[in-house]
Amino acid sequence: MTTGTHVIEVKNLTKHYRDVVAVDDVSFTIEKDTIYGLLGRNGAGKTTVMSILTAQNFATSGDVRVFGMQPYENAKVLSRMCFVRESQKYPDDALPQHAFRTAKLFFPHWDDDLAAQLIDEFQLPQKTRIKKLSRGQLSAVGVIIGLASRAEITFFDEPYLGLDAVARQIFYDRLLEDYTEHPRTVILSSHLIDEVSNLIERVLVIDHGRIVMDEATDAVRDRAANIVGDASAVDAFVAGRQVIHRESLGNVASVTVLGALTLADRERLAAAGLDVAPVSLQQLIVRTTQRAASEGAATEEGALR
Amino acid sequence: MNRTVNVVRMQLINKQTFVWVPLIVLGASFAMSLAIYAILNSSGLEGPFYGGGSQAPLWVLLFVGISSLTLTFPFSQAMSVTRREFFLGTMLAAAGCAVLLAAVFAVGGMIEEATNGWGINGYFFALDWVVEDGPLGAAFFYFVMAMLIFMLGFWSATVYKRSGALLLTLIWVAVGALLLVAIWAITRFEAWGDVIGALVQLGAVGLAAWGLALTVVLGGISYLTLRRAVP
Repeated sequence: MTTGTHVIEVKNLTKHYRDVVAVDDVSFTIEKDTIYGLLGRNGAGKTTVMSILTAQNFATSGDVRVFGMQPYENAKVLSRMCFVRESQKYPDDALPQHAFRTAKLFFPHWDDDLAAQLIDEFQLPQKTRIKKLSRGQLSAVGVIIGLASRAEITFFDEPYLGLDAVARQIFYDRLLEDYTEHPRTVILSSHLIDEVSNLIERVLVIDHGRIVMDEATDAVRDRAANIVGDASAVDAFVAGRQVIHRESLGNVASVTVLGALTLADRERLAAAGLDVAPVSLQQLIVRTTQRAASEGAATEEGALR
Repeated sequence: MNRTVNVVRMQLINKQTFVWVPLIVLGASFAMSLAIYAILNSSGLEGPFYGGGSQAPLWVLLFVGISSLTLTFPFSQAMSVTRREFFLGTMLAAAGCAVLLAAVFAVGGMIEEATNGWGINGYFFALDWVVEDGPLGAAFFYFVMAMLIFMLGFWSATVYKRSGALLLTLIWVAVGALLLVAIWAITRFEAWGDVIGALVQLGAVGLAAWGLALTVVLGGISYLTLRRAVP
């Protein structure tokens, strides 16, 4: 799916809020026409990175290029991007229609039919002011703007807050459908990793302001495996391998090891009567982030949701 | 340029704030002023009657200025509008609103003068000092007052957005203190006669010219503050 051209280039990006380092010397590139998952815990720096890329916020140091240009005060760049925030504010008197009509004015690829279809599917009330909408309906307004604007780069920052499972599925389905017909770059920040794991082509994990993973989703999936079975047999197998998680119940152990399994490995596992279970993307990222956190100085409470 | 004009349309989403509330306040304060003049007139007083009711719709613009920033600026950022486009478009919308008000005031003043104060010698728009330079002078005066008051609201909201409530409060306290010092100094040196004389000398148009200068300065500060503001 990737064409090898970069639409975004970030070099040594750092952002301080007074004493807090929100983004810590981060460098990465975003490829054209690819769906990215920007994953990480609360406060990891996801929103800050997206805000700086769209020139809504300012870097303390470092360089950001979008389409090879500086985005700040650059209408040529900004008009090709759309950033859907989780906590977006709208003008006080605005109805959903006002927001969509305004979006049509500013996003050159806006599609009215798609917007109308989504309004219908999300059952968005038309005569209610945006400030009176429920949390889920408010999210739907943002999702509709993000999809129907068909910007060349679209950022969705946790766009599903308050949306029920059906509405979230509509969002994932329509995103994928429209992306297939109109390829573009999508950067989706999400807590619901397994829900979006079939959608995203590349994974970008940010933790404590640093990028800890930047890989193709398929490659990530093959990176680890769960070995389940008799504790002593499991221990014998995993000896010398990188273990990122271990659980045991009585005599049975389940150990997550890094590294792809070779054919020889699989034969050994079969001979030892051990089972191999796939690791879900969410599990793998939780484990990796936890490990990064415990290796770092500070270990914080709470797990990735 | 096209995107700047589109910002005007974005601001006018708030029709209630930008159009209806100022018009309702204007209509209500006009009706109430006339009612008071009529009561005075019917009780045998001859007038002429003047009142400060015409200020009311101008002060509404303070809130128009505030709301044009606090909610619409974050929305404009979501619409991928640059800060420059947002600022220019918002000023254009405000100028449109001020022109409309100024036209109503100038025409209202002409009607009042032609009808001798609606037949009861009561004046709402045509304050002597304001209309002495003719309807165009009066329109200019009201335009500048509307823009200045809008800008005070917009500027305050910009400072609040960028630096928070504390700095804004401190600035307003400082402005209040400066005014107090000025009043004290004028009183202390018994200069009220000179000050009022100078204001009369300056006339409405002269005062409006200074108001315009202040508006432009506040606008410049607002723009520079906005350039680094985060929605």
